[in-house]
Amino acid sequence: MYQDNEDDYKFAACTYFAKNHPGETCGSNGLPLTPSSITILGLAQRLLTIEHPNLCTYLDIIRGKHERIIVVAEVVGKSLSDFKSKFTINEVVNIAHQVADALKFLHEQGITHRTLSDDNILVDGEGRVKLFNYGLYYMTGGGNEVSFPLGLPKYLSPETILNGGGPAADVWTFGIILLELCIGKLWQNLKPGPILRRILTLVHANNPAERMAREHDCYDAYKQLPENLRLVIEKCLKIYPRERATFSEIVDDLSQINTSEMAEVKQPRGLMGCKLQYLYHWWQLAGGDIQAELKKNGLIKNSPPILSMPIAILLDGCTIGGKTGALFDCRIAKYSLGLLKSRLSHISAHDYYPLMHERRKQYDAVSLPKIIRERDTEYQFYRLLWFQRLLHGYPYTAPYIRAEAEIDIPPLVRGDVWAALLGVVGDIEEQYERIDKETPTPTDRQIDVDIPRCHQYCWLLCGSAGHRTLKRLLKAWLLMNPQYVYWQGLDSLTAPFLYLNFCNEARAFACLSAFVPKFLHNFFLKDNSMVIKEYLAKFWQMTAFHEPELASHLHEINFVPELFAIPWFLTMFSHVFPLHKIVHLWDALLVEGPSLPLFMGVGILRQLRDTLLESGFNECILLFSDLPEIDIGECVKESIDMCRSSPRSISYRRFTNEARTKEPMDMVEIPMEMLFAEICPRISLSDFFSLICQDKSCVIDIRSNLLYEKSCIEGSINVPYSGVHLGQHELRALGLNPQRVLKEAMKVKKTIVVASAEDETAQLFSDYLVKCSVPRVCIFHGGISAVQTHLPSLFTTPAPPNKNGNK
Amino acid sequence: MATNRSGAAQRPNGAPQTKVCQFKLVLLGESAVGKSSLVLRFVKGQFHEYQESTIGAAFLTQTVCLDDTTVKFEIWDTAGQERYHSLAPMYYRGAQAAIVVYDITNQDTFGRAKNWVKELQRQASPSIVIALAGNKSDLAAKRMVEFEEAQAYADENGLLFMETSAKTAMNVNDIFLAIANKLPKSEGAGAAGAGGARRLADGEQPRPSSCCK
Ligand SMILES: Nc1nc2c(ncn2[C@@H]2O[C@H](COP(=O)(O)OP(=O)(O)OP(=O)(O)O)[C@@H](O)[C@H]2O)c(=O)[nH]1
Ligand SMILES: [Mg+2]
Repeated sequence: MYQDNEDDYKFAACTYFAKNHPGETCGSNGLPLTPSSITILGLAQRLLTIEHPNLCTYLDIIRGKHERIIVVAEVVGKSLSDFKSKFTINEVVNIAHQVADALKFLHEQGITHRTLSDDNILVDGEGRVKLFNYGLYYMTGGGNEVSFPLGLPKYLSPETILNGGGPAADVWTFGIILLELCIGKLWQNLKPGPILRRILTLVHANNPAERMAREHDCYDAYKQLPENLRLVIEKCLKIYPRERATFSEIVDDLSQINTSEMAEVKQPRGLMGCKLQYLYHWWQLAGGDIQAELKKNGLIKNSPPILSMPIAILLDGCTIGGKTGALFDCRIAKYSLGLLKSRLSHISAHDYYPLMHERRKQYDAVSLPKIIRERDTEYQFYRLLWFQRLLHGYPYTAPYIRAEAEIDIPPLVRGDVWAALLGVVGDIEEQYERIDKETPTPTDRQIDVDIPRCHQYCWLLCGSAGHRTLKRLLKAWLLMNPQYVYWQGLDSLTAPFLYLNFCNEARAFACLSAFVPKFLHNFFLKDNSMVIKEYLAKFWQMTAFHEPELASHLHEINFVPELFAIPWFLTMFSHVFPLHKIVHLWDALLVEGPSLPLFMGVGILRQLRDTLLESGFNECILLFSDLPEIDIGECVKESIDMCRSSPRSISYRRFTNEARTKEPMDMVEIPMEMLFAEICPRISLSDFFSLICQDKSCVIDIRSNLLYEKSCIEGSINVPYSGVHLGQHELRALGLNPQRVLKEAMKVKKTIVVASAEDETAQLFSDYLVKCSVPRVCIFHGGISAVQTHLPSLFTTPAPPNKNGNK
Repeated sequence: MATNRSGAAQRPNGAPQTKVCQFKLVLLGESAVGKSSLVLRFVKGQFHEYQESTIGAAFLTQTVCLDDTTVKFEIWDTAGQERYHSLAPMYYRGAQAAIVVYDITNQDTFGRAKNWVKELQRQASPSIVIALAGNKSDLAAKRMVEFEEAQAYADENGLLFMETSAKTAMNVNDIFLAIANKLPKSEGAGAAGAGGARRLADGEQPRPSSCCK
């Protein structure tokens, strides 16, 4: 068992309800209004990225049932309101200084606090201050998305009470808090109404601070404060917002007065020294459950639904009666990391600081499926620390990152890792900043109708913040790529990058910009038909190569990839699968490179193989219009296997952004018309040569017996084309010896290379082999004569046939 | 009218005397007018607010029962974006019926629908039955295309016409039913387009395109 101790309480949660749209929940376009909770979640994403020593880090924003929002954030020490004893003047100045620092930072970020109060200013044992829950006003769109008032009455500035108020309201509130720290709590026994009236009567006061002190019989105490501190208070408590000081002035003033030296922050070692976001993540993996804890603490109450049923529902949808919980609860529930600590207690201190040059550990978990690894506390512990280390050294560590990403990518840092894999470097913010993302263009209408249909089950992408950002990204990309146009599907392609970089638009853009040339070169040309046709033809050839039986069947029923695979490749499957599957596909894609998608296509077909084999045209096409569940882990694994076991040249495409080879040994390019006609891919001489060297090929020479006996490739067998009955799809028909050799070759997964003197016979014969369900069949590019020219050493005179056949 | 789930009723049991006819139907129209939504409503009785955009085309089937005939629709739902236009002939070639869809809240989509009708009249099988659907009729408050205007246009061009709503299901089954009624169901009828009709599905069992048993 573990012992909970005070220091283990690193974060806390609080909860409130978003506004409910009453009645008819449709906007003018007939679509449902975005729920307030979704809008809040979208806005709050930015808060998750804010880091400042005097601000509690936001860790998570969760959407519960019934528009409930749960905010998880760091906590330290206790709140000002929990301190019973008075602070000394020095302490007061020190606290105020840090609060002002935090608020200055927030205002620079364009964030107004608006709910500052003595219970969200936290102070730890060493006098260090952090503001808690400073983003409520920001995440609720200035209070628009909730139906309760924000802020405690006594901390509201006069203009806030009257008409809202801007950032300067924070200065007033700060002044009140400072005054309270000096002379004690204000208006302690008053109800909200009278308090508000008191504040409003201050409008007539020359010096509201003095006036308040007098009202509380503290005038003398107030006057005894150091003058410079009093001045700061008075600069804050001006009735007119524009007369108030700004936080940068206040920080300057206070730093003059502040004499306390802060003790060096000692970064704890070991677990408690890890990034809070990591701790929270591991804590959740270890079984930590925010909602369960809230229930235990009574912040979420389960009452029988009957009790919350309204007494009446009006025609406009408003309800009367019924017990609902409090809309806003100012209590917080703290969470202990004790559980996590004990879970990871056996890990040695050394493991917290993995060193680059040490060989990384092998973990048992590596053999488990990725989705399981992603949920394994200990595994993610090692992986995250290791990746943190590597990412820190990027771009110098790029090769290491790639090598590690090949194993798996921890979800928490996927955005960073993808950017590294795509080679994103430099000042991307500045570049992105400069692009015009606003000027209307004729493409806008299409983008506007596509975005509300793009991955809308994802709450990040379905809110207005998501919609706006996606539109900006698309417009920016189109502007920077004038050679390209908007094809429907580009929205889906952009979505994963936005999803992983929601608060880093520039990086989402940089990733997209790097992704397209690598994987989808020329796909978005106005006339992309040749590019797509070539891609689909190659996909079909890869299918024949790895799934000959299936390929023959599909050819036979005239089922062509044009009918179903365009969205697969045009969007790299992002239009076909939900995001949680896409990220796994793309993890592999980014590591393996641009040939992998072809094999992923084959991988999908392979999973549907049995159904497809027994289906006719209609059933097949129906299957793809409504794709059944695909096991992505399996599909990725298989496609990587296929990709790696395929000679590179067989997946050659001319429409890539790689330089074309001039080397005859590497060449496999044929006219497009020919490509569309060939069922089997071509293999280059150099690939063939490496196969020979590794004894991984089986050459079938289909020239006449006469030519073969004169000279042939060493180890090849001769099956004269003229003697083959193309109609008989059985290997037996080729004769005993060829059948035996082929069977043997198939067993050890050799690549079957068809060598001929003419293209036509090579095509027909290789097609025949596919129909006989022979896998891994390809055609020798250039035929026998090319080998004779470039690899003459491979030729020999065959031994008399009666001996062994293949020697 | 009775509809079955896709592909469920090739030949209803116990009623061998019923004729079963198979027709290829294509949906055309500007992007986001609701083509996929109409098909989804017709085939599965559902409506998705966030219906994904269609890339390339999607294929679905649905069967409707008329008095003495069972009509099986093979429906090709195409992509609406102008850029995908070049793919369209692959789908309407040999189709016996087409629904050209526009959005009553957007005048441009009506213009685009007229272009589709023209193209079909020029390029598709001459006997093709064309229906015009003014979709999103639930958004009457935002109407930009008057019913009368569209009706007049449909009359001029001999089109079936209905205003529909995939959202409320209004007229969705009706428009498919009206097409089914108008399609010739006698042996050999509509054979003109047969060659093309089966083009996509050639390999499947060799059977006449609007085969009646
Ligand atoms: N209010 C209303 N909305 C509809 C109706 N039909 C479709 N929509 C909405 O309109 C949008 C577009 O519908 P889709 O069915 O995707 O349109 P589409 O014509 O297939 O579009 P593409 O695939 O891009 O060619 C979706 O958000 C639908 O929810 C309708 O009858 N009423
Ligand atoms: Mg569609």
